[in-house]
Amino acid sequence: MHPLLLKIARFFGRADHNSGVDPRLILERFRLVLRSNNRAMEIIADLGEKLSGNYIFDSQYIHDNIKDLINTLHDSVEALNNLDARHRELYPVLTRLTEHIHAVMRHKDDRQGPRILPLEEISPLHWGIVGGKNAHLAEIIHHLKLDIPPGFAITTRTYHELIDHNGLRPLVDRYESLWAETDNTDELENLRYRLASALTTTESPPGLMTELEEHLTDLISVTDGPCALAVRSSAPEEDLDFSFAGQFLSRLNVPPEPAAVFAAYRDVAASIFSRRAIDYRRWLFPEDGHMSIGVGCQLMIDSRVSGVAYTTDPGNPGDETMIIVGTWGQGAGIVEGEFPGDTFMLSKDNPPTIDTCQISRKDSALYLADDDGLEERNLTPELRQTPCLNEAQLVELGQRVLQLENYFKRPQDIEWTFDRRGRLFILQSRPLLVPVTRELRRDLAESIKQYEVLVSDLGQVAQQGIGAGPVHVVRQDTDLDDFPDGAILVGRRDSSHFARVMHRAAAIVTEIGTPVSHMATLCREMKVPSLVNVPGILDLVENGRDITVDAEDRRIFRGRVKELMAYQLSTSVNLEVTREFRLLRQLLNSITRLHLVDPLMDQFTPDRCRTYHDLLRYIHESAVMTLVNMGKDERSLLRNNTARHLDLPIPAGILVIDIGGGVAPKTPADRVPFAALTSIPFRAILNGMLYPGIWHRATMPVGFHDLMSSMLSVPTDALEGQYTGHNIAVISHNYVNLCFRFGYHFNIIDARCDERERDNHIYFRFLGGATDLSKRRRRVRLIAEILTAFDFNVRTRGDLVIARAGNMPRSEMERILDILGRLVGFTRQLDVRLDSETAVDYYIEAFLSGNYDVVSS
Amino acid sequence: MTALDDTVAGTYRLLIIDDEAIVGIRLAHTFTKMGYKVTTHTDPAQALAEVERQPFDVVVTDLKMEGIDGMEILRRVKKINPSTRVIMITGYAGNDTADTAFREGAFDFITKPFSLDEIKNAILRSFAAPAQERGEKK
Repeated sequence: MHPLLLKIARFFGRADHNSGVDPRLILERFRLVLRSNNRAMEIIADLGEKLSGNYIFDSQYIHDNIKDLINTLHDSVEALNNLDARHRELYPVLTRLTEHIHAVMRHKDDRQGPRILPLEEISPLHWGIVGGKNAHLAEIIHHLKLDIPPGFAITTRTYHELIDHNGLRPLVDRYESLWAETDNTDELENLRYRLASALTTTESPPGLMTELEEHLTDLISVTDGPCALAVRSSAPEEDLDFSFAGQFLSRLNVPPEPAAVFAAYRDVAASIFSRRAIDYRRWLFPEDGHMSIGVGCQLMIDSRVSGVAYTTDPGNPGDETMIIVGTWGQGAGIVEGEFPGDTFMLSKDNPPTIDTCQISRKDSALYLADDDGLEERNLTPELRQTPCLNEAQLVELGQRVLQLENYFKRPQDIEWTFDRRGRLFILQSRPLLVPVTRELRRDLAESIKQYEVLVSDLGQVAQQGIGAGPVHVVRQDTDLDDFPDGAILVGRRDSSHFARVMHRAAAIVTEIGTPVSHMATLCREMKVPSLVNVPGILDLVENGRDITVDAEDRRIFRGRVKELMAYQLSTSVNLEVTREFRLLRQLLNSITRLHLVDPLMDQFTPDRCRTYHDLLRYIHESAVMTLVNMGKDERSLLRNNTARHLDLPIPAGILVIDIGGGVAPKTPADRVPFAALTSIPFRAILNGMLYPGIWHRATMPVGFHDLMSSMLSVPTDALEGQYTGHNIAVISHNYVNLCFRFGYHFNIIDARCDERERDNHIYFRFLGGATDLSKRRRRVRLIAEILTAFDFNVRTRGDLVIARAGNMPRSEMERILDILGRLVGFTRQLDVRLDSETAVDYYIEAFLSGNYDVVSS
Repeated sequence: MTALDDTVAGTYRLLIIDDEAIVGIRLAHTFTKMGYKVTTHTDPAQALAEVERQPFDVVVTDLKMEGIDGMEILRRVKKINPSTRVIMITGYAGNDTADTAFREGAFDFITKPFSLDEIKNAILRSFAAPAQERGEKK
């Protein structure tokens, strides 16, 4: 069979499982899938919302809800199998995912996952095993694209294997069990000492050296000369307010050989049992003796100049000034406070300007030693008095510093270096504690009063925090293209499309939205202050003008409220210091992240489900597909149900099958007038199709090539007569499944439109056309771009378009379905006219500006 | 954890007692921003000593704490200064102590998890409550 015919046959392939089953029963079973999926999503959303900073919760809350969630997921898998029994394979998937959740709950998840991970492969799923420092570096690589020395993380799993393989587990267990007891200090100290010394002489667990060698080979292959490694600690707690700065050991300039790196790794790992690290830990977590450590191994930079930057002056957080301290060579001397450095104060403008320079006399500096480690060398008289950074370097560094503070949404303590060629690397970025001043606290409420309030007590908090910056209005996706760093995104509706600029946004405000949307989840991940459901905000703000968004007290001010920003920087509350918050975040990392995004891709399979969200997505998608397929089984539908002709003022030729509340009572048995339709989503689509100017009647000039192409594409016998006769709408009060053919293309619209946002979905498929492939592809681009502009999630493959939208309030659903109806009518025979890409752009523009007449004119 | 600096001027004085430090840190951040004078304690004994030293308009206390529990705090605070309004916080599991707390003069009873708006509203309501509801006016 012709490949295209095969594709069409597959597209309209029979749904064999439910063939002949009463659509009412299918819909009822679908409803049950939705119900448990919704319940699961509600629990997940409720858990997620607790991370917004707007809530106070305890561990009992987490335990009860996780238990509930696990049961509900089981219900979902069960319900899907009732709808379509071909999904038995989901049971073992659920078991696998649930085992991981139990491990997280028991704090044993840091014994799972890979042993070694390249930094660029670290995702939030790995945060629990790579440690805070490595996790931050990975975020900088992914979101800010700044230069980081290449390297890999040795995970906490390796640490646990080291403990187990060397028979140290009983000692560790005893140590952890005694931690919270204050009357056993002697035994505790004895254990600590034994563990610290034993770890430095441990043997490597089986297989580790081979893995290490492979990763070292990969790392060395990216360098173009001799290289060495920096081996540093990355404890799970190191991303907290309490930075653990300087508490653990680092080994610098380590030769890139497995034995040397393993020896350095062992020393760094052992340092979690060092006296000072333990004292510090006891002060922080008197109740929690559970310990593990990740380690980072990165290429050592041969530095010309290095140092530290504070994104905010801790002495004057209101000053909007950053501090940069640098010296020649390696920065270790500055970090440890042993060497004098040059101090520069820069304004936090973009680009930053240099306010003051304080140049010290630098007699010596640290450089890479010939064998390993660092060595101190005397500096030439010329270098001693010369500022270690020039203006261009300071501005470049200042800009990176601003980016880092803007991304992490709190003041940062950054280690940086310029290599011999002048390339800037970020070595580390961790939270900087800025104490709040008494004056600031005393005067805050009063000083805020001088600012004009644009919005007060409106909207819902999706993520807490305060952000100030210029407004950037986003009305369509292309507005994101020129989104400036540090701007405030103001949009009509919350959208996961904002993800691509989110890390650069100071805050997000939308007129419509919900704190449980995908966007809200992303905002929480990236800690972007976000207010949704703020009616009329687009009319109150002006592009490019500064505003301050207080997503704690739900207020928006005109201008930059410097006092509020200073207060925010100095008191930004880090909830992550609590055990409950960390547990919940870790659980949600293993629950909410979505990897199964694209149903068109081969990866959309049960074994690719890595989180509960993936599984729910798979279940939902499979359930919707069962519905979608229901409408394809035309003969069975017509045989088993009463189909009635729909009377429309346009020749659409639609047969209606009402499975509950889609048509008003006492409607004639053979014909349904438009006025008698009570199906909400179907009416919305038809309203769009009937919109003036949409149903153009002009006959399209089909060319000879197009005609041949269409004759080749759709011979009726190949489809066994299906879809040459009827367009069928299976409807209920809140549901429509519309399968139809206009001209030579095929459409499916499956939509559910109810009062509950989460229940709502639109599934749109489009395939084929009468013209040659290039024109059909142009129409695919046209449809895809228009749907994307209306926030659909769109995938295309050849001349097939699949688009999904959902999670919208009923009014918005009706609006979008109306647009979809217009689009169906508008593009009905448009491919014939799409002679060039310019024509595509022309018709896209026409549709988006409501100029529908262009087709019939 | 030591008491937060309490020399800040403000209309109302708030005392927050919870053995989980985060509750105090979080609420202090919110209420200081609103212009109130906030003191936080994680040690209930130290908190009671504070109540002996100076009057508070509102005391927010966790119910379950090591040593002195929330009910005890409520009784002692009411004895020292009947006009102080006491808001109790309790864990997710919840229990039937709410009735007892109200009988002993608690102004409100909030169950975890709660949003900052909930506690903010409870505190604002307590300021606005008629004198007889919050005891004798200072």
